[in-house]
Amino acid sequence: MMRLWFPLSIIGIWGLMALASPILHLTPNTIDLTHILVPPDQNSWLGFDELGRSMADRLITGATTSFLVSLSVVALGLLSGVILGISSGYFGGWVDQVFVRIVDIMLAFPGLLLAIALAGALGPGIENVVFALVIVGWVGYARLARVQVLALKHADHVVAAQAIGASPWRIMGRHLLPLITAPLIIEASFGIASAIIAEAGLSFLGLGVQPPQASWGSMIRDGTRYMLVAPHLVIFPGLTLMAVVLAANLLGDWLRDWLDVKEPKKMG
Amino acid sequence: MANNIARLIWLFLMLLSFTWGCTESAPESTIRLGLAIAPTNLDPRLATDAPSARVNRLLYSRLVDFAEDATPIPALATWEALTPIHYRFHLTEPRPTFPNGAQLTAKDVQETYTSLLDPKTVSPHRGLFQNISRMHTLSESTIDFFLLHPDPLFPSYLVIGILPANLIEINHPFHENPVGSGPFLFHQRPDASRLILKRRKDAQLIEFVKVLNPTVRTLKLLAGEIHLLQNDLPPELVTYLAENPSISFQHKQGSKFAYIGFNHQDPIVGQNLVRKAIAHAINRGQIIQYALGGRAQLAQALFPPSHWVGASQLEGYPYDPARARELLHQAGFTSERSPTLIYKTSTDPFRLRLATIIQEQLQQVGIHMSIHSHDWGTFYGDIKAGHFQMYSLAWVGLKTPDIFRHAFHSESVPPLGVNRGRYTDPLTDDLIVEAEGTSQTNQQQRIYRSLQARLLDTLPYLPLWYEENVALSTTAIRGYTVRTDGNFDGLLDIQWTSSTTHPQLARQADP
Repeated sequence: MMRLWFPLSIIGIWGLMALASPILHLTPNTIDLTHILVPPDQNSWLGFDELGRSMADRLITGATTSFLVSLSVVALGLLSGVILGISSGYFGGWVDQVFVRIVDIMLAFPGLLLAIALAGALGPGIENVVFALVIVGWVGYARLARVQVLALKHADHVVAAQAIGASPWRIMGRHLLPLITAPLIIEASFGIASAIIAEAGLSFLGLGVQPPQASWGSMIRDGTRYMLVAPHLVIFPGLTLMAVVLAANLLGDWLRDWLDVKEPKKMG
Repeated sequence: MANNIARLIWLFLMLLSFTWGCTESAPESTIRLGLAIAPTNLDPRLATDAPSARVNRLLYSRLVDFAEDATPIPALATWEALTPIHYRFHLTEPRPTFPNGAQLTAKDVQETYTSLLDPKTVSPHRGLFQNISRMHTLSESTIDFFLLHPDPLFPSYLVIGILPANLIEINHPFHENPVGSGPFLFHQRPDASRLILKRRKDAQLIEFVKVLNPTVRTLKLLAGEIHLLQNDLPPELVTYLAENPSISFQHKQGSKFAYIGFNHQDPIVGQNLVRKAIAHAINRGQIIQYALGGRAQLAQALFPPSHWVGASQLEGYPYDPARARELLHQAGFTSERSPTLIYKTSTDPFRLRLATIIQEQLQQVGIHMSIHSHDWGTFYGDIKAGHFQMYSLAWVGLKTPDIFRHAFHSESVPPLGVNRGRYTDPLTDDLIVEAEGTSQTNQQQRIYRSLQARLLDTLPYLPLWYEENVALSTTAIRGYTVRTDGNFDGLLDIQWTSSTTHPQLARQADP
């Protein structure tokens, strides 16, 4: 059970922080110069940053940023990847050949480097980060969907559907998609971890959210200059980022095992 | 707990920094100065960046230097104004020598300025000397300068390092192999991030080492890999080092002038009422106290009060949010129709930090400001092109009041000058022209002070502060003195403490 509950707790807290942040009346951008670099104490558990802003408030607001970005990236990447992958696999022929070449070209670039180049070209901002990560991220889902469809498109129920005159879109939506959902969910769970890290990386490089908005990556970047005098500026967002990414990966592992039909089912 | 964590981080970064030591190194007796930016050009005719200018001061001699109040004083030469357009310079004895033993002569001076004026040299300083009509060498130690127009400030421009005439003739690459008559000789440049000079009087080697990251620079100082740091550190790290018993700390009021520039053609900040509202909305005193660690002085004008044209009587704009709101109201802005501004700055984390504070303070009076931070090239290009509403920059090394013409005269819009905000004010133009036509120092002072009062009233720039110069050194060395303009002249006197020589040398001598 520990194997499931630990990641679920972390992901749950992360989601709760992200969703509750708008109703908590936080003041992540309120500057109080008299509190600059004040370390954690009884009144402020996480201390204050280099502008005297509450680290706790900024950490919770940063959770919203990472939550929205990761969910948007995974959702948009999944949607576009699945549509393209299923279509390519099902129709085959020149459509498939063109698709495979595009995927090969996309995979020839290091993913994060391409995202950095795109975010740099588009300019800083959270929308551009989402766009850049979707451009990089859809390929994995599309490849997986295509391979799965190639294996299933000659199955009896699909041939039967074709024989009674079902349209290609109906076959893809009703007879193929449900059968490839499990591996896509597993891929998406790992995608969440990758998106969180990528968003933090881009924000660390100054290509993500712009000041004064909070993001874990930008908090770590700003904190590195004060590591000697105020290590809490790096430690708290760093640990939070690590915990959430670890939890997302553990959840993905668990999902993979759970959805694997060859594995005996056991919880935790 | 926090101390233990800090120690662990310190250890980790130290281990990382050891990789730096895996390169060719200078002898252990070398004194090392850590820099954020390495000097890029060692030809004084071409250098424009502050680190290059500071190193070139050590390598080359110049005709004129500046006193603490920035009045021109003799360096290589004394001078007399025979007429308003005719200056005679006499090289003082003993004249310095070049590395080959030859004494510096008036011919070297003439050739240096002739080559600087030659369009083929492509000197960025050429514009400053366009007023020279001709030069005439009277003897080995006397040279005449003839001007096109009278300019009482002319001697203070002659601070360019003098090059040997024989090497100028053969187009010697001074930028990478400098040859001068200054107190230091070029020794070695192992790579772009390191430069080693040799002090003439005692052959002491001084190495300039570029270490970009301020935390790593701090750690190298603590570890003794670097012996001296000057400026370019966050205030918190300065305090951290100053409290360390193994580090000597000194600071001195500086002349680096930080300001906010406005675009006077913009419909919002082009209004003087809005600029004044911004001036009252920014709590400069609080920023200096907390964000700059108290290491800056409030500025009301381009030059500090200690400068010979400094205007100490100016009162400036006290922090007064109520007055700021009132001025905005007078300018036609209300809570429903509040001004929205874009503030451009570089990606330097410290400048971004200041921008964020200013953003929050302007928000308090109802001015919405978004920060656009760009890499230096894009940012500076935008400023020169006038693509901005507000921006922050700093003037470094300002000495002569000719800056008023370059920065504020209506005819000095780029590329003719640096009036980047397209500021136009007939009274300012008149005062600049009047000051330039006056040869009496006290009259010049009076006019320049009136001019600065006018500039403070019309706010082409909002003066912020003069940043202090700080120097931090290990106790293994002594004798360094930090200067008002942040130059490296203190390296002339720096030496190892007492008989220690260098600790590692002492260890080597120990059987």
